[in-house]
Amino acid sequence: MGRLVEHPILNVKVSGAAEHMVFYFEDQPIFALPSDTIASALIASGIDIFGFTEHEHARGFFCAIGKCSSCLVEVDGVPNVRACITPVREGISVRRQIGRGKPKW
Amino acid sequence: MSDVNGTYDVCIIGGGITGTALAYSLCKLGETSVAVFEKSYLSSGSTGRCGGGIRQQWSTKNNVRLAMRSVKLFENFEEDVGMDIEYYQGGYLMLSYDEEEAEQFEKNVEIQREEGLDVEILTPKQVSERYPYINTQDLIVATFCQTDGHANPHKAVIGYAQAAKRMGADIYTHTEVLGVDVENGKVVGIQTTRGYFKCNVVVNASGPWSRQVAELAGVELPTESYRHQIFVTEPLENFFPMMAISFAGNFYMRQAHHGQFIMGQGDKDEKPGINYNVTFKFEKELAEKMVGIFPFLKNLRIMRHWSGMYNMSPDAQPIIGQSDKVKGYFYAVGYSGHGFMVAPAVSEALSELIVFGKTLHTDVSYLNVDRFSNEDVEKEKNVV
Amino acid sequence: MVNEGPTEKKHVKALVIGAGPAGLCGAIAIAESIGDGKQILVVDEGIVPGGQLPKQTHKFFGHEGFYASVRGFEIGEKLVSKATDLGVQFSMQTTVAGIYEDSIVTYDRNNNSVDEYTADYLLIATGASERFLVFRNNTLPGVYGAGAVQTLMNQYKVMPGESFLIVGAGNIGLIVAYQLLQAGANVKAIVEASSKIGGYMVHANKIMRLGVPIMLNHTIVSALGEERVQGAIVARVDEHFKPIPGTEKEFVVDTICLAVGLQPSVELVAQTGAEIKYISELGGYVPIRDENMKTTADNVYIAGDLSGIEEASTAMIEGYIAGYNIAQKITGQDLSEKISTMKDELIEFRKGPFASKVREGLKKMNILFPSGGYRERTQQSTGPNGKLRAVIECPQAIPCNPCETSCPTGAINVGKNINSIPYVDYDKCIGCGVCVMKCPGLAIFLLQEKEDYSIVGIPYEFLPIPENGTIVKLFDKDGRYVADGQIDKVSVNRKEKTHLVFLRVPKGMENIVRHFDLAINSEEYVCRCEEVSRQDVEKVIDSGITDYEEIRRILRIGMGPCGGKTCRNVVLQIIAEKTKIPISESKLGAFRPPVIPLPIDAIVKSRKGVDKDE
Ligand SMILES: Cc1cc2nc3c(=O)[nH]c(=O)nc-3n(C[C@H](O)[C@H](O)[C@H](O)COP(=O)(O)OP(=O)(O)OC[C@H]3O[C@@H](n4cnc5c(N)ncnc54)[C@H](O)[C@@H]3O)c2cc1C
Ligand SMILES: Cc1cc2nc3c(=O)[nH]c(=O)nc-3n(C[C@H](O)[C@H](O)[C@H](O)COP(=O)(O)OP(=O)(O)OC[C@H]3O[C@@H](n4cnc5c(N)ncnc54)[C@H](O)[C@@H]3O)c2cc1C
Ligand code: SF4
Ligand code: SF4
Repeated sequence: MGRLVEHPILNVKVSGAAEHMVFYFEDQPIFALPSDTIASALIASGIDIFGFTEHEHARGFFCAIGKCSSCLVEVDGVPNVRACITPVREGISVRRQIGRGKPKW
Repeated sequence: MSDVNGTYDVCIIGGGITGTALAYSLCKLGETSVAVFEKSYLSSGSTGRCGGGIRQQWSTKNNVRLAMRSVKLFENFEEDVGMDIEYYQGGYLMLSYDEEEAEQFEKNVEIQREEGLDVEILTPKQVSERYPYINTQDLIVATFCQTDGHANPHKAVIGYAQAAKRMGADIYTHTEVLGVDVENGKVVGIQTTRGYFKCNVVVNASGPWSRQVAELAGVELPTESYRHQIFVTEPLENFFPMMAISFAGNFYMRQAHHGQFIMGQGDKDEKPGINYNVTFKFEKELAEKMVGIFPFLKNLRIMRHWSGMYNMSPDAQPIIGQSDKVKGYFYAVGYSGHGFMVAPAVSEALSELIVFGKTLHTDVSYLNVDRFSNEDVEKEKNVV
Repeated sequence: MVNEGPTEKKHVKALVIGAGPAGLCGAIAIAESIGDGKQILVVDEGIVPGGQLPKQTHKFFGHEGFYASVRGFEIGEKLVSKATDLGVQFSMQTTVAGIYEDSIVTYDRNNNSVDEYTADYLLIATGASERFLVFRNNTLPGVYGAGAVQTLMNQYKVMPGESFLIVGAGNIGLIVAYQLLQAGANVKAIVEASSKIGGYMVHANKIMRLGVPIMLNHTIVSALGEERVQGAIVARVDEHFKPIPGTEKEFVVDTICLAVGLQPSVELVAQTGAEIKYISELGGYVPIRDENMKTTADNVYIAGDLSGIEEASTAMIEGYIAGYNIAQKITGQDLSEKISTMKDELIEFRKGPFASKVREGLKKMNILFPSGGYRERTQQSTGPNGKLRAVIECPQAIPCNPCETSCPTGAINVGKNINSIPYVDYDKCIGCGVCVMKCPGLAIFLLQEKEDYSIVGIPYEFLPIPENGTIVKLFDKDGRYVADGQIDKVSVNRKEKTHLVFLRVPKGMENIVRHFDLAINSEEYVCRCEEVSRQDVEKVIDSGITDYEEIRRILRIGMGPCGGKTCRNVVLQIIAEKTKIPISESKLGAFRPPVIPLPIDAIVKSRKGVDKDE
């Protein structure tokens, strides 16, 4: 797990460190690139367990295009956010979703 | 018709909650020569598309009684019928945003309490204390009855159908009834896509198609079907136990067993006719309205949106009874959007009418089609 | 709150749903014919337009007219710029949420906004979605769809794991395996339940010579691991595809990639009221349509994988057919000539054996396509000894011909029907190697027999690019090590990135060697505790020390915390390979206690207990 550093076909040059962003996953700071989704940034950092089901089974991402609901996380307290298609934003707090997600009001 | 495929005492047209509950009730009374004919699959009509709400807070004494009897039957469903239908008595919270209606609510509660129903009247402040996730702005009054609730309509139909089969009834799915054979003013059989069946009694339990199915026997029923839409969100943890409903606000909503929120509203501009399409206008209007009242909904996504038909009668109450023109022709139709909740009691009453010629538990004579010959029909006000 | 106030409906002449090759070509055809791209809106939920294309780093088959031998992501870029130049409007990261009775509703997830559209014509080209597979623990993190792996790896440039098991040996599974290897991952195996490889042989050959086994008649029965994948169990299947008990094998992998097929995404077409039918040959439920790609709903057209799982090339052609038909209706002009040119293209593409399912499927809609008319035999001759020349190992009739069109001397013949198997005219071939670098199947090699050795020219798409003179390991077409060799020279192809590496191989091996490995780069750790690599072990064995215990003492293998659990067998395996003495005959070595590291404080505590008792 991690970012590609070289590739025979693709250009994988990482843009300058100035463009890095930081967000939080379970209170741990995670670095991300502006092009990242929450899922790609987490997986690039070696994190692939995004939550647990009601029955305590671990879940990660699966389809990567927002069609399944495997990768649901809580972002700033809001549950059911699809990590695989949600762009990272500076400073957001992401948590593992457990079960169906708590309502926020 | 020469080829006779079978002979039954009672042939029921329609495999929704009415048809299957009736088959079950008849069998319970020992009348097991019963067949249900469903043109598609079981619960493919309104039942499988409905909100599943079950309430007793009605505006007339008779309706309250009928609903209370139904709730009794729902309470015993698992034991009697043998299936867990996710029945849950989380209550109905009726919200009023209209002065006149609020007054009516208080009158209704009087009637309901007279019938022995435990109903609370709540001020907006009480509502927001009890349900901090409801925005009570513009709310005038609310009533709450804990023994109201909801169940899973699919499972209810399957439960009834299986129990009826176990007792000897036959269920023909994907079998459409094409004609009703009447001789000398009396029902003698039906034509179906699976051939001819002889019978003494035919029951029209065909929901949205009630008028057309009545015409098959030359019977006239004053019903029209109107589309009603409904949608469901992605799930949250269960925290919203009751059905919330408002007539003036024109909405209802509940949280289903698996955490999703199911909600709907009526549309005065609907034209009569079968139409299963959905409109985005509905989503827009309802979503906007509901987020105002239930702000937590704003973080949810709509998962599925579908529509079903309300089979409406002129006074928004069911039409139940026997045709006086064609002997052996019974009907339970025109539920006007609340047939799921009353079907158990209606079917019980209808089975008694068929077997004994009179009802034993609940009087449904006030729902006979005759009532429309009167000048002033009193409309049930408590409908969305 | 989502969208303040009532949304206003926007109107477009043509709305194209899906910016894959089908949708893009449809939009191009309409824009080009009506001369005003602004009237056409393409909506797609992806990050960039192109559908499957931006995720594909390999070169596509087909012919030049439809970008054969161009890498998928570059085809996407070309089509998009063509459409943009014509003025076509795009709305990306936007999903068509539904076709309602009153409007077409889109959701833009970036702006979290909903829009409503009405359109005179709809071209739906929503492609296909992946099928799922049921096995134990299949929801563990680390079990991913092939599309997800590709999205992450080729679009976000993030690797989801290090060692992979791939399920499914259709084209997608084969291609993903190759792409993973290119990105530096380890692919342990591909399992395939049926008894033959479903994808093209040229794709399969590419990965088999890299040493990835394709296990036919096998399926996955379970993912292993508590909270994420740590391994997989595969088993042989019987003729009903049921796993045979007792045939289970375990693989240590951290990612399982499912590539078990696609199904057309028909939801939106169904909402238009168009008729849908189950035709298994086309991939499942598909919309009924005529040969002009019109569905049974008014003004609703389809194209691409949605109308039947097939290929990018046919998706493009169908897109054009649909587009020209729509343009014809919008403008009233007669485009029948363009339409029939495209229909002829389709006929040529669909004549081959791989199109037989599509032909069968379309027959069920009364759309007939002829078959046959192409060469099916492979060329027997590999040309005159001693001459530098091309040999083609492209054994199946597939719709592809860049070898023919790229050869500057006209030495390669495919012929009128592009499904024909290519032949080399050895009088004309000058061994220039252009075809080697063009062939999307990497199926062409150069050969030349010399006095002391032979030359084999191999297409190469990996890193690093080797230096002349380097000693390398040589592998055969199944990835078996056959001998050592040397890099003779490298023709670097910076633009298209398929390089041509000339190897010196032992004489007589020119028809055997099909891959090489730079020994220095393949750090395969035998012992992970002490970080001892395979090369280290082999060097010691080469120096004449072949006893396990001796090797152990020299390299400290098995002296780490694992106590030799992971490495002992591997070392024995290497000894066996190198010395040709079977494992059963070599000395096993001692098993010293403790077999797990024992904590000292635990030992101390227990000592005290003993004391007390005394
Ligand atoms: C959106 C929506 C929400 C609703 N919410 C509620 C609620 O919360 N609570 C509540 O109590 N009620 C609710 N209702 C109303 C409720 O769904 C109906 O009143 C009830 O389901 C009627 O049941 P039924 O068995 O009479 O009819 P149906 O369920 O419609 O069954 C009739 C069956 O007859 C079959 N049929 C018709 N013609 C023929 C023929 N010729 N031959 C053979 N078969 C035939 C049909 O296929 C159909 O399956 C709602 C309805 C809708 C549309
Ligand atoms: C791994 C792999 C390798 C392949 N290799 C080759 C090859 O070498 N040669 C070849 O010819 N073919 C190849 N193909 C097949 C080829 O990619 C497809 O046949 C082709 O992309 C189909 O084109 P399309 O336009 O129909 O669909 P797609 O390319 O799948 O595009 C559909 C688009 O619709 C969008 N969409 C879907 N639903 C919605 C919605 N509701 N709202 C908005 N947008 C939506 C999607 O986001 C997507 O961008 C390969 C496919 C795969 C997966
Ligand atoms: S090596 Fe050159 S001349 Fe020979 S077939 Fe290939 S392209 Fe043609
Ligand atoms: S040899 Fe020719 S036909 Fe075969 S894959 Fe290569 S380019 Fe295509």
